Amino acid sequence: MTETFYDVLRRQGITRRSFLKFCSLTATSLGLGSAAAPQIAHALETKPRTPVLWLHGLECTCCSESFIRSAHPLTKDVVLSMLSLDYDDTLMAAAGHQAEAILDEIRTKYKGNYILAVEGNPPLNEDGMFAIQGGRPFIEKLRETAADCKAIISWGSCASWGCVQAAKPNPTRATPVHKVITDKPIIKVPGCPPIAEVMTAVVTYMLTFEKLPELDRMGRPKMFYGQRIHDKCYRRPHFDAGQFAEAWDDEGSRKGYCLYKMGCKGPTTYNACSTVRWNEGVSFPIQSGHGCIGCSEDGFWDKGSFYDRVTDIKQFGIEANADKVGATAAGVVGAAVAAHAAVTALARARSKSGIDIKQGQEER
Amino acid sequence: MAVYETQGFKLDNTGKRVVVDPVTRIEGHMRVEVNLDSNNVIRNAVSTGTMWRGLEVILKGRDPRDAWAFTERICGVCTGTHALTSCRAVEDALGIAIPENANSIRNLMQLTLQVHDHLVHFYHLHALDWVDVVSALKADPKKTSELAQSISSWPNSSPGYFRDIQNRLKKFVESGQLGPFMNGYWGNPAYKLPPEANLMAVTHYLEALDFQKEIVKIHTIFGGKNPHPNWLVGGMPCAINLDGVGAVGAVNMERLNLVKSIIDRTIEFVDQVYLPDLVAIASFYKDWTYGGGISSMSLLSYGDIPDVANDYSAGNLLLPRGAIINGDLSKIHEVDLRDPEEIQEFVSHSWYKYADETKGLHPWDGVTEPNFVLGQNTKGSRTRVESFDEEGKYSWIKSPRWRGHAMEVGPLARYVIGYVQGKAEFKEPVDKLLKDLGLPLPAIFSTLGRTAARGLEASWAAHKMLYFYNKLIANIKAGDTATANVDKWEPSTWPKEVKGVGFTEAPRGALGHWIKIKDGKIDNYQAVVPTTWNGSPRDHKGQIGAFEASLMNTPVAKADEPLEILRTLHSFDPCLACSTH
Amino acid sequence: MLAQQDAHEAERNARLVKAVYVYEAPLRLWHWVNALAITVLAITGYFIGKPLPSIAGDTSAQYVMGWIRFLHFAAAYIFAIGFLGRIYWALVGNHHARQIFILPIFNRNWWGEVLYELRWYLFLVKEPNKYVGHNPMAQLMMFLFFTVGAVYMILTGFALYGEGLGAGSWADHMFGWVIWVLGGNSLQVHNMHRLGMWVTLCFIIVHIYAAIREDIMSRQSLISTMVSGWRMFKD
Ligand code: HEM
Ligand code: HEM
Ligand code: NFV
Ligand code: SF4
Ligand code: SF4
Ligand code: F3S
Ligand SMILES: [Mg+2]
Repeated sequence: MTETFYDVLRRQGITRRSFLKFCSLTATSLGLGSAAAPQIAHALETKPRTPVLWLHGLECTCCSESFIRSAHPLTKDVVLSMLSLDYDDTLMAAAGHQAEAILDEIRTKYKGNYILAVEGNPPLNEDGMFAIQGGRPFIEKLRETAADCKAIISWGSCASWGCVQAAKPNPTRATPVHKVITDKPIIKVPGCPPIAEVMTAVVTYMLTFEKLPELDRMGRPKMFYGQRIHDKCYRRPHFDAGQFAEAWDDEGSRKGYCLYKMGCKGPTTYNACSTVRWNEGVSFPIQSGHGCIGCSEDGFWDKGSFYDRVTDIKQFGIEANADKVGATAAGVVGAAVAAHAAVTALARARSKSGIDIKQGQEER
Repeated sequence: MAVYETQGFKLDNTGKRVVVDPVTRIEGHMRVEVNLDSNNVIRNAVSTGTMWRGLEVILKGRDPRDAWAFTERICGVCTGTHALTSCRAVEDALGIAIPENANSIRNLMQLTLQVHDHLVHFYHLHALDWVDVVSALKADPKKTSELAQSISSWPNSSPGYFRDIQNRLKKFVESGQLGPFMNGYWGNPAYKLPPEANLMAVTHYLEALDFQKEIVKIHTIFGGKNPHPNWLVGGMPCAINLDGVGAVGAVNMERLNLVKSIIDRTIEFVDQVYLPDLVAIASFYKDWTYGGGISSMSLLSYGDIPDVANDYSAGNLLLPRGAIINGDLSKIHEVDLRDPEEIQEFVSHSWYKYADETKGLHPWDGVTEPNFVLGQNTKGSRTRVESFDEEGKYSWIKSPRWRGHAMEVGPLARYVIGYVQGKAEFKEPVDKLLKDLGLPLPAIFSTLGRTAARGLEASWAAHKMLYFYNKLIANIKAGDTATANVDKWEPSTWPKEVKGVGFTEAPRGALGHWIKIKDGKIDNYQAVVPTTWNGSPRDHKGQIGAFEASLMNTPVAKADEPLEILRTLHSFDPCLACSTH
Repeated sequence: MLAQQDAHEAERNARLVKAVYVYEAPLRLWHWVNALAITVLAITGYFIGKPLPSIAGDTSAQYVMGWIRFLHFAAAYIFAIGFLGRIYWALVGNHHARQIFILPIFNRNWWGEVLYELRWYLFLVKEPNKYVGHNPMAQLMMFLFFTVGAVYMILTGFALYGEGLGAGSWADHMFGWVIWVLGGNSLQVHNMHRLGMWVTLCFIIVHIYAAIREDIMSRQSLISTMVSGWRMFKD
C-alpha cells in the first residue's frame, strides 16, 4: 500500500491536530483561505498520485518531446491527474537547489513508492563528468534516486541500449541504465524516440492495473514490442510478392512497394510503429517512404548503413558485409582449389611418365 | 584577474557567488554561476555546458548518407534541423541538386519546426518566468474572460471556460502534489502579472500543450514521425503519387489536405493565442529592460528557407543573412561559411585540446578532442565542484567567433538584420509591436526583445508554410512530381576527396555543419550550433559569450530565487545537447 | 596407429571381397538429401537477402518472395530433421557413422595423421594413407565445417524463423535465446546466418574437390562409396 502524505506525517510522530493545522496553513499560504483546509486534508489523507522522478542523462530530450505529443491520454491529463511529475528538468518550474531539494523530499517521503523514469544514460568515462549535474557526475544522482524507487522506466534507446552517444567509439562510455542499476525492476521502452502513446500507455498501465507490464527477453513490454514492424507492415504483401522500390522516387516508391531493398530494417525491428503509428496514427516511417532504420533496436547505429539490407559487419574491421566477406572467401577457396588441382595434375602427369608415385608403390 | 573589461562589460568576481545548477526548463544540462555585488546586481557571469556526447567523434569513418540520422539525434527539441543541415552539407560536397518539390517540402518541415519550437518554448519553457501559477487561483474568471476577449478573437474565452480550468487547477493544488510546479518561486516580487492575466496564461499553457502535437504532424506526413523525422540526401524520401495505382501511402490529395488543415489551424493559434499573450504579458514587464548582453553589438545569421531549390545565396533566402559587429547597425557584413578567417572555434576555456589554444580553427579543419581539466581556483573537487574557475577550462561548449567576435544568434539576430536590411516582413511587425507597447527601438535589445522576436517569427513562419504549401501544389500541378535526385546516390560515383558545408537557421539561430568526405567515408565532421554561439565560454582573449553578457548588470530581487537569471537565460531558449553535441 | 587398424580391417575383408561396406544405406541417403537441401538453402537464402528484380502486377497474383522463403523453410526443415536423423544414425550405425561427430582429439596418433594428410595435400609426401572411413583430415574438416556449421545454421536459422512465427511460438521458445545471446539485434543474426552460408559454400567447394581428387589419386573409391556404400581399394 502506498503511504499517503498523512501517513508519513503520522509515522513521523505528528499528531492529527497539528496535521490539520498544517493543512490550514497550507491553504492560507496558497491564498485559498481557511475554507479550503478540509479539502486539502481530505486529499492528503486519500491515495496520492504516484510520484515520478524523470531524470535526464546524456540524451537529446526527444523522449520528452515525444511524451508531450501523446493524444490519448493527453499529456496534460497525465501530468495533472494521473501521476505526479515531481522532477523533470525540462518542464519543472524550480531550478538550482530548489529543484534538487525535490529529489530528497520525494525519496524520503515516498520511499519505495515512486517511479524513476530515466531519459538518456550515464557516461562512465572521465569519472562520469561528461554529464555533470549539481557539480557531480550524473551517475551518482541516478544511483541515489534509484536506490529508493519502486521501479525504473528506461525511456528510449538511450536509457535502454545506449543509443547514439554509445555508438562506436562511444567516447564517453555512455552506458544504459540496466548495466549500472542491477537491483531494481527495469522496464525498457526503446525507440529513438518511443511512440508517444506507447510511453503514456506503459505509464498508465502501471498506474491503472497496479503492476508492471509483462516483459520480453530483452526487458521490453510485450504488448508493444512483441512483434516486428515487418510482421504488421501494410507493405508486407509487396514484400511477399517480390515487389520492391529499387531506387528513391522510382515507380516502385510511388506505388508504395516494399522498402526492403532500400535498406528497411522492419524485418529485424521490434516496435509498434506499423500498428500504433506515429502522432495520433498519422503515419510512420515506412508509410512516408523511408525504410525503418531500426531505431528501437540495441546498437542500431553500428549495424551498417541504413540503406543496405545485407549490412556491414563491423567485427571484420574493414567495411565488409556478409556477401563481400563470403564471396571473397569463396573466391580464394575456389582459386586455391583450382591451383591445387593444377599442381596435382602436373604431379600426376610426371608420375605417369614412369617414375614417382607408381614406382614408389611398386617398390613397397 | 578579479576585475577586467571586455566588450564594454566590467567583470568583477569578488562579490558573493551564486550557483544555479541545474538551470531547468531548457534542453540538456547547464549551470550558471554569478557574482552579485552588495546591491544584488550581477557583476560576473560564468555559464557552463555540463554535458558532452561526442557526435563529431562518432561520425568519423561513417557513410555520409547516414549522417543526417546521427546529427538529427544531436537534439530532439530542434528535431530535423540538424538532419536538414547535414543533408545540405553532403549535397554541397558532392554537388547534388535536389528537386523543387524536395525544397518546398524541406522548407515546410523546417518552418513547422520553427513554429512548434517557438510555441513550446514560450508556453512551456519560458512562461513560468513571467507567470505565477499560484496567483492564477485568485483570478476572477469573469474578468479573465473580459481580458482574453479584449485582446483576441480566440473562441475559448468564456467565463465558464476559465472557471473550469481554474477549478481543475485548484483541485490540483489542493491535492498537495504540485508536480512540475513544486518549489517554484511563486509569490516572488519579480512576478508582475495580475491574477487574471496569470489565469489566462496558465490556461493557454495547457491549450498550447494540446495544440503543439498537431503542428508536428506535418513532419509525420513527410518524414514518418516526430520527433526525428526521416530525411534523404538528394531530396526527400516521400514520393508523390497523386492519382496513380498505389497512391495510398505516397503524398496524395488526402495527405496534402491534412497538411493544409494543420497550417490553417497553426496560423490561427499563433495569431490568436501566442501573439496576443506575448503582447499582453510584455505590457506588464515593459520596464524590465535587462538582458540585452551583446545583442546590440554583435549579431549573426546565415539565412535560410531557400525560395528556389539549390540556390543558397542571400538573395534567395527568405530568412535574412549577415553579420553586425561593434554595434554598427548601419552595416551588414557578408558572411562566408567557407572562409577560413571568418568562423573559427576556440577552446582555451573549453574542455577540449588543441595543439595551440591561442588560435581558432575553421570547422573544416576542426578538432574535437575532449580534455576535462579544471582551473586551479576551482572550489571543491573534480567530481564535486562547488564553483568553477572561469580562468581555466569550464565548459563543454566550444567558443565560436566570427572574425574574432563573440556573436549572438537567434530570432532576435534574424529580426534585427532583416530590419536593418529594410525587409518589410521583418521591419513592420517589429515597428507595430514596439508601437503597441509604446517602446523605442533599442528596447528590442533585451530579454523581452528576444522573446518578442521569437513570437513574431513564429507567426512569420506559420504564414510562410502556407506559401510553400501553395508552391508545392503549383509545382505538382505543372507536372513535376520528383522528390529525389539519385544520380549520385552510389558512392562509386563520388570524387575521392571532397568537402562541403550546409547551413540552416535553426529555431535558436545560425547552424552550420562542415563535412570532409574521403574515399566515400566521413573524414571530418564539425557542427557549430546556435547554442554553441550563444552559450560559449570565454575565449583566449577573455571575451564573454552571449549568455554571460546578457546576465551582466541585472539586479536580482532575491539572491536565493534566481528568477531573473532564468528569465534572461530562457530568452535564448538554450539547448545544451545541441551546443556541445 | 589408426591407419594400421583400418589397414587390418581392409586386409581382413580384402581377402574376401577387396571392398569394404562403409556407409550404410541411411547414411548415404541422408548425404544426398542433405546435399540437395543445402543447395536449395543457399540459393534461396541468397535471394532472401538480395531479392530478385521486382515484377509488376497484383500482389494477390505474385508470391515470389513468399515462395523463395517457403522453399528455404521447407529445405531448412529437411536439413534440420535430417541432421537429427544423422545424429540418431551416429548412435546406431557403424563406427564410421560416428566420425563426423566425435574427434579423437586426445589421441596423439590421430593428430599425427592429420598432419600426415596435410603434408599429402601439400605434395610433401608421395602417398596418402588408406582409410576405410574418413581420413583424419577430412574428419576434422567435416566436424568443424559441417557438424559445427550445421548446428550454427540451425540455431541461427530457427531463431530467425521464431521471429516470423512470433513471440511465444515453439521456435521462439526453443531458439529465441540465440538472438539474445548474439546481442539482441536480429539484424546481426541475419548477417551472421548469411555469413554461415558462405562458410558452408567454401566447405562444399573443398569437399567436392577433395572427393574427386582422392577418388583419382588415393587409389580407393570415394564418390561411388557414397553411392553404393562400398569402399573399393585399387591395390
Ligand atoms: C551440399 C553439399 C554437400 C555436403 C554438405 C556434403 C557433406 C558431407 C558429409 C557431412 C560427409 C560425411 C558423411 C558422414 O560421414 O556422415 C560427406 C561425405 C562424402 N561426400 Fe559429401 N557433401 C556434399 C556434397 C557432395 C558431393 C556433390 C559429392 C560428390 C562429388 C560428395 C561426395 C562425398 C563423398 C565421396 C563422401 C565420403 C567421403 C569419404 O568416404 O571419406 N559430397 N559429405
Ligand atoms: C546450410 C544451411 C542454411 C543456409 C546456407 C542458409 C542461408 C540463408 C541465407 C543466406 C539467408 C539470408 C540472410 C539475410 O540476408 O538476411 C537466410 C535467411 C533465413 N534462413 Fe537460412 N540458411 C540455412 C539454414 C537455415 C535453417 C536450418 C533455418 C531454420 C528454419 C533457416 C531459416 C532462415 C530464416 C528464417 C531466414 C530469414 C528469412 C527472412 O528474413 O525472410 N535457415 N538463410
Ligand atoms: N542550439 C540549438 Fe538546436 C536549435 N534551434 C540547433 O541547431 O536546439 Ni536543440
Ligand atoms: S533515445 Fe533517441 S530520442 Fe530518446 S533521448 Fe536518446 S537520442 Fe533522443
Ligand atoms: S517495407 Fe520494410 S517492414 Fe514493410 S514489408 Fe517491406 S521490409 Fe517489411
Ligand atoms: S526507425 Fe524507428 S520509428 Fe519505428 S519504423 Fe523503425 S522503429
Ligand atoms: Mg562542434
